[in-house]
Amino acid sequence: MIRVLLADDHSIVRDGLRRIVEEDGAMTVVAEASDGREALRKIDDSRPDVAVVDISMPGYDGLEVVSRLKDAHPTLPVLILTMHEEAQYVVRAIEAGAMGYLTKQSAPEQLVTAIRKLHDGQRYITDEATEALALRIAKGTRAKTPLDSLSMRELQVLRRLGMGHTNREIASAYNISIKTVDTYRARLLKKLDLRNNAELIRFALQNNLVEP
Amino acid sequence: MRLRLILLVLSLLTFLSTSIGGYLYYHNLKESALLEAEKQAEIRVEMLRINLAAQISDNIRPARVLAGTPEMIQALENPSGALLDLANTVLDHFQTNLDADVCYLMDRTGLTIASSNRDAADSFVGHNFSFRPYFTTALGREPTTYLALGTTSGKRGAYCSCPVYGADPQTPIGVVVIKASIERVEEELGLGPEDILLVTNPVGVIFISNRDEWRYQLLWDLSREEIDRIAQSRQFGKGPWRWTGLKLRDDRYVLDSKGRRYLMNRTQVENYPGWNIIHLRSLDTISKVISEPLIRITGPVVFMASILIGFAVFFLYQKASQEIVKRKEIQRALVDSESRYRSLYNHTPAMLHSIDSEGCLVSVSDFWLQALGYRRDAVIGRQLTDFLTESSRVFAERSVIPDFFRTGFCQDVPYQFRKADGEVIDVLLSAVAERDATGRPVRSLAVSIDVTERNRAERALQLAQEELGRYTRGLEKQVQERTREITSILRYTPDVVSIKDRDGHYTLINTCFENILGRSNEDVRGLTDADLFPEGVARQFRENDLKVLRERRSFQFDEQMPHRDGTIHSYLSVKFPFYGQDGEARGVCEISTDITEVKKAQDQLRRLSASIMAGQEKERAAIARELHDELGQVLTALRMDAVWIYRRLGEVDPAAADRARDMCRLIDKNIEDVRGMAIRLRPGVLDDLGLVDALEWFTTDFEKRTRIACVFEHSPIAPLDENIATAAYRIAQEALTNVARHARANRAEVELIIHDHQLQLTVRDDGAGFEAGRLAESEGLGVAGMKERANLVGGQLEVRSAPGEGTRIRLRVSFPEQSGEMT
Repeated sequence: MIRVLLADDHSIVRDGLRRIVEEDGAMTVVAEASDGREALRKIDDSRPDVAVVDISMPGYDGLEVVSRLKDAHPTLPVLILTMHEEAQYVVRAIEAGAMGYLTKQSAPEQLVTAIRKLHDGQRYITDEATEALALRIAKGTRAKTPLDSLSMRELQVLRRLGMGHTNREIASAYNISIKTVDTYRARLLKKLDLRNNAELIRFALQNNLVEP
Repeated sequence: MRLRLILLVLSLLTFLSTSIGGYLYYHNLKESALLEAEKQAEIRVEMLRINLAAQISDNIRPARVLAGTPEMIQALENPSGALLDLANTVLDHFQTNLDADVCYLMDRTGLTIASSNRDAADSFVGHNFSFRPYFTTALGREPTTYLALGTTSGKRGAYCSCPVYGADPQTPIGVVVIKASIERVEEELGLGPEDILLVTNPVGVIFISNRDEWRYQLLWDLSREEIDRIAQSRQFGKGPWRWTGLKLRDDRYVLDSKGRRYLMNRTQVENYPGWNIIHLRSLDTISKVISEPLIRITGPVVFMASILIGFAVFFLYQKASQEIVKRKEIQRALVDSESRYRSLYNHTPAMLHSIDSEGCLVSVSDFWLQALGYRRDAVIGRQLTDFLTESSRVFAERSVIPDFFRTGFCQDVPYQFRKADGEVIDVLLSAVAERDATGRPVRSLAVSIDVTERNRAERALQLAQEELGRYTRGLEKQVQERTREITSILRYTPDVVSIKDRDGHYTLINTCFENILGRSNEDVRGLTDADLFPEGVARQFRENDLKVLRERRSFQFDEQMPHRDGTIHSYLSVKFPFYGQDGEARGVCEISTDITEVKKAQDQLRRLSASIMAGQEKERAAIARELHDELGQVLTALRMDAVWIYRRLGEVDPAAADRARDMCRLIDKNIEDVRGMAIRLRPGVLDDLGLVDALEWFTTDFEKRTRIACVFEHSPIAPLDENIATAAYRIAQEALTNVARHARANRAEVELIIHDHQLQLTVRDDGAGFEAGRLAESEGLGVAGMKERANLVGGQLEVRSAPGEGTRIRLRVSFPEQSGEMT
């Protein structure tokens, strides 16, 4: 049985989540918390296998809880469950130490899978979040790299170009215009002092933006 | 040259007349000499005639006597010895007495029977001379004379024959002849060598001559028959008889073969009919006779006189030549100076003219013509007054010209000339007169100076001076008025007005300032701010003054000034520099408005505005959170339930399951709407994650929504004050919204830099841009809102745009060290 802690300040949401978790016979909700502090206390008490934490909570918010848990319970995988879809949240959450990220909207369909994955020691992040995370990490790990000068969007385009995507593909991937993609490509060439796509691809590989 | 010629001719004429005079004198002399010679010749010829007659005709009577002697008759009647001897003795007697050459007796046959020379070698006795005309004539009872050359003796003689009658007185029985010697006659003629005396027979055979070579010559050219006749007569020997070559001229002159002329006198020889005595005298000789003594006597005198005259002529000629050369030089100089004068006259860049005593123009200079635009031939001879204006003409005719010809002088007469094109020019005319020998002015030399421009300039100057005078008076009046006005303004304005020199000394303060300081203008003059205000205030004032002086332009300052009651008042001061003549800033003028109350009200208003805005934001955040968290959560929970129901009814009641799925979709849609609403109200990211994440999200979202490339760049960001972050976010949001709405841009850039406690947010696009100061109303409102937001957080918003060059909006906010809470 996978022991799960639910931390959300909305009881009806907690109820819904509980139902979803308990529908699956292999996991059970061992504790519920309605704010950050409570969540931390209950984790101390009940020692769950997986913690599902909302970002927006009174007291300590979800990100605070994650970073605190990193010290207190480094092995406890935390799944961030939130109303926010913005990638910025995902990145912050993963940076803080969360192992998974899920919007509440997609909870009915994916929550159980996510908990299971986390319980198995794996991460659970959407593709988009994965990418953002990867870029953020690539940028953050090295002290001073040419990547520092690149914006997030530029990193995204660089990575896609490194993966051999066409402008059209990139445009549709980020729901932006082809012209915008071209703008970013031009900026990349200028900022990185490169001449063409081939060099961009090589650069992306060298900087571990793309798995070889 | 001509004079020289004249002189030459004159001297020639002198010479000629002298010569003619001399010649005439000489000629007269010669003529008289000739006459004298002629007279002499006549006398001489006469003398010769008489002499000759005496010599050769004297023997007629003795011959008659001899013929009558009985001895002769006896000898003839009885030519015996004794009787012959007697006859011879008588003959000898006669010959001796008569000093004749020969006396002889011929018989009837012509035979000489007795002769005085019967003993001489050339005795005539025995010779027959019956051929002689004197014999035949004598036989014809006529005593006769005859001149001939003796055939026996070869001597010339004058034969005098007389018949001798015997018994019969009618019949001659013989003839006696007395022959006188011609040589002796010749000797007695006694002529000089220059004279030629000739005795010729009727045809011109020269019988007697004082020139031996001329004897028996032919005076005239004779024909052969005549010469034959001479030969037959045996009168002159046997010849030959050559022609002397003389030719008769004018009956008085004879020309010889050499062309010499001779004066000829001739007269008949008595008793010898046809015989002539001819006297020839060479004219040359006559001349010589005259000229030689003349030359001898007068020659040296004439020679000396000639030399003297020659010298005199030469000297005079020389003098005259010099005179001529000198005169020529003078003449040339005169011509030169004349032409110079004329050239000067014509080419002097001044209006020159001359009039005669009638007032007619006799000459004008080129410049005169040029100045007045006439042609010379249209001017010369016309009245000067024709070229004057009416008033000048009257003036000239009545006053100037009469005066001038009286005094011969005039100066600076103001005339007006009328030019060919009708234009009138002003001149000042000065003239002097040229006078004739009697000193009467006959002609003027006048200079006119065109003073049109000068007069015009003078008039303009005068006008300008008057104008200036008027203007100055007006200006003074205006200055007085302005001074009064300014004084009033300074007195009654509620603003503080002051003027300070470069060093900060007050030179003037107005009434308001006096009241604030409680001191009069006179007291304050010369003092500085340091004398009037606390140190800090004075330093601030001075700094501001110096800035104005340095930058040389006006500035606005917010200044604080303590009043006498201890309150600090805020002033909005305008300070501007005063410039001196040299363009240097000489001082600072300050006009300060007390804005303490205004500022108080403004601050109040701003605080109010800020609080309204902050409240609004807070409210929005609250609503957003409410929507997002509460409603969103509830909807999420509902969705979970819907999904649960759908799964439960999946197999049991498919229709209900479908319904549940529809419901689920509906809820999804609702959640999206709520999220959108919440984000539009206030993005949670801004509150939860901060400005950088919020802008990153917004720009990404902007790209998606507008398809305009939107680049976001930022420097590492330290936590920010919430209000500043909100303002920045809202300004970026508003700016990008404008880009999407109006700019027609391809791309936009958002740049966020935080450095040294200053935030700088820049939003720029490559769009159409707009003319600064002419914003569309919506944009205008947007910009005003952005400015308001910027002001409320103590920042400035700068909008820079130009048509076709995009727009740049920049927010600058400084914030104190301590910062607000941020994640």
